[in-house]
Amino acid sequence: MQILRNVFRRKLRVFLTIFGITIGVLALVVMGSMAEKINLLVAGGTRYYSDKVTVSAAGMSSMFSSSLLSVGKRDEIKAVPGVAEVSAQIGTLLDPDGGASFGMPPMLMGGDMRGEDLESFKISYAQGRKLTPQDTGSVVVGADLVKRLSAKVGGSVTIRGEQYKVVGIADKTLTAPDSSVWMTLPDAQKIFMQDVPEMVRNQIDQSAVATSFVVYPTAGTDPETLAADINAAVSGVKATGPSAFQKEIANTTQIFNLILYGIAIISLVVGGLSVINTMTISVSERTREIGVRKAIGASDGQIVRQFLAEASMIGLIGGVSGLAIGWIAVTLVNKALESTNINLFLVTPRLAIGSVVFAVVLGLVSGLYPSLHAARMQPVAALRYE
Amino acid sequence: MSTLIKGVNIHKRYVMSKDNYVDALQGASVEIQQGEMVAVMGPSGSGKSTLLHILGCLDSLNSGEVWLDGRRVDVLTGRDLTRLRRNEVGFIFQTFNLVPSLTALENVALAAHYAGKGKRASDEDAKEALAQVGLSDRHKHRPNELSGGQQQRVAIARALVNKPKVIFGDEPTGNLDSASSEEIVARMHRINRDTGTTFVLVTHDAGVAQTCDRVVHMLDGRVS
Ligand SMILES: Nc1ncnc2c1ncn2[C@@H]1O[C@H](COP(=O)(O)OP(=O)(O)O)[C@@H](O)[C@H]1O
Ligand SMILES: [Mg+2]
Repeated sequence: MQILRNVFRRKLRVFLTIFGITIGVLALVVMGSMAEKINLLVAGGTRYYSDKVTVSAAGMSSMFSSSLLSVGKRDEIKAVPGVAEVSAQIGTLLDPDGGASFGMPPMLMGGDMRGEDLESFKISYAQGRKLTPQDTGSVVVGADLVKRLSAKVGGSVTIRGEQYKVVGIADKTLTAPDSSVWMTLPDAQKIFMQDVPEMVRNQIDQSAVATSFVVYPTAGTDPETLAADINAAVSGVKATGPSAFQKEIANTTQIFNLILYGIAIISLVVGGLSVINTMTISVSERTREIGVRKAIGASDGQIVRQFLAEASMIGLIGGVSGLAIGWIAVTLVNKALESTNINLFLVTPRLAIGSVVFAVVLGLVSGLYPSLHAARMQPVAALRYE
Repeated sequence: MSTLIKGVNIHKRYVMSKDNYVDALQGASVEIQQGEMVAVMGPSGSGKSTLLHILGCLDSLNSGEVWLDGRRVDVLTGRDLTRLRRNEVGFIFQTFNLVPSLTALENVALAAHYAGKGKRASDEDAKEALAQVGLSDRHKHRPNELSGGQQQRVAIARALVNKPKVIFGDEPTGNLDSASSEEIVARMHRINRDTGTTFVLVTHDAGVAQTCDRVVHMLDGRVS
């Protein structure tokens, strides 16, 4: 309590200092929650791809192409030693004219659901059940799309002008599946074909279309090795193991992270400088008081502790208010963007705790020099100070 | 009677710059007995405050010796010095020097806290000390809510709280009207009589000096 009273002795100045820290922490929370959101997406992807091989059409630079493959390739791939199961998939944009947007665009996913028991990335269901190959005309909706599609189990949703029955709503995974709708392979093939130019459409068999295969290795088979084996054995396809995702996505997001956190840290350092300033003024204003305290028996350590406590209190108040404002701001922006399905921010516990701890440490570090200066003063010199 | 404080041939030079210095003490010697109430008088600038600070271990000296209760203390540093200030000497200043953000009780308890007592013990001792100066009804008042005389009584309680052997007062009544001044002096006499605490008081007030056991006169950095 005495710490608080001393901190607020000069109200305006301390308020401005706290405000500086608040802004810094606000930046840290906003930037950090953006980075956390991306990190979780990437972590989910890393986990999903960690134990499997993805096969797409040859010649595509990206593993996330939606260029055409023939389902017929599946038998060829399955014949490669080390392959346990192959699942044909269609992945396409839920909203083809959705335009460019931040984050993950909503996806439409269709699969033949082979090898589901080999899938380690399990999804649980908030309501209803999972999709089966017999569920033609039905869908499962990812957690983030529920509002936007007005999805209810037992009800129906409109996708590309057609009605589908909702049989399940997935639990939140905090990663890509949250913004996906799943359907059977035939339903997805039908939708996919609508997007294909007419000239091409006539030449391909709708029931044989896929955009990728998910290959589950047998136990003990290294997916990276298996990808190389598939590339060698099967023509016209490009198989990639877990490292491709790391290379393409994870590494670029790391740079993005650095930039985001860099901005936040710089604004915090500016806040830290103002703590140094405030504490230095506070120490020189209270020189006499320091002299008195030493005269009645305060040790250097006790003086240091007193001023450090005040400095870290400034950091704590600034940190907590920055976190609170940042949290509110981020929640409001997420709410406002809910209908567009852009979910930009995520305040994780480690971000919340980390930013407050950082602010306190910043206060401590910034208060260190003024505190040591205060403690080293001769009592009499301090007492004579006017 | 035994000697409590002994200052031997103390020299103190304040150096402002290379050839600008003041010899505030030029061989001051003084001896104060256990339980004595001593007044220190002398013209302004004669070195009274300087001597008091050096005897009370708040300042260093250039040469000479200071003995407190049979122990040489001018050679002490760091922790030992801090321990001495906590437990063996108390200080009262002309301008009271209370911590403005703290209440009367907290100001007194602060000294006990620095001496290593817990919160409860500090508060107990602070209450007792405030009772000794007749301020039991002012625990929660801040310095700016107290009269000058009351502030000085809080300062006396603060000096007293760790039961020191000696309390030094540098013109403790210098900022007070005569009624408050008399009350303060009477309090100190009572404490001196009841607890045997030694008092060394710098004063310009002949009336105050007259009530003391003995008067030490200073002139030009020496005791005359
Ligand atoms: N910190 C200081 N720096 C320089 N000179 C000082 C300082 N303190 C005291 N002096 C000088 O030392 C002399 C004695 O001062 P002081 O002990 O305060 O005298 P008194 O208390 O008797 O008035 C004076 O000439 C004063 O100007
Ligand atoms: Mg003086």
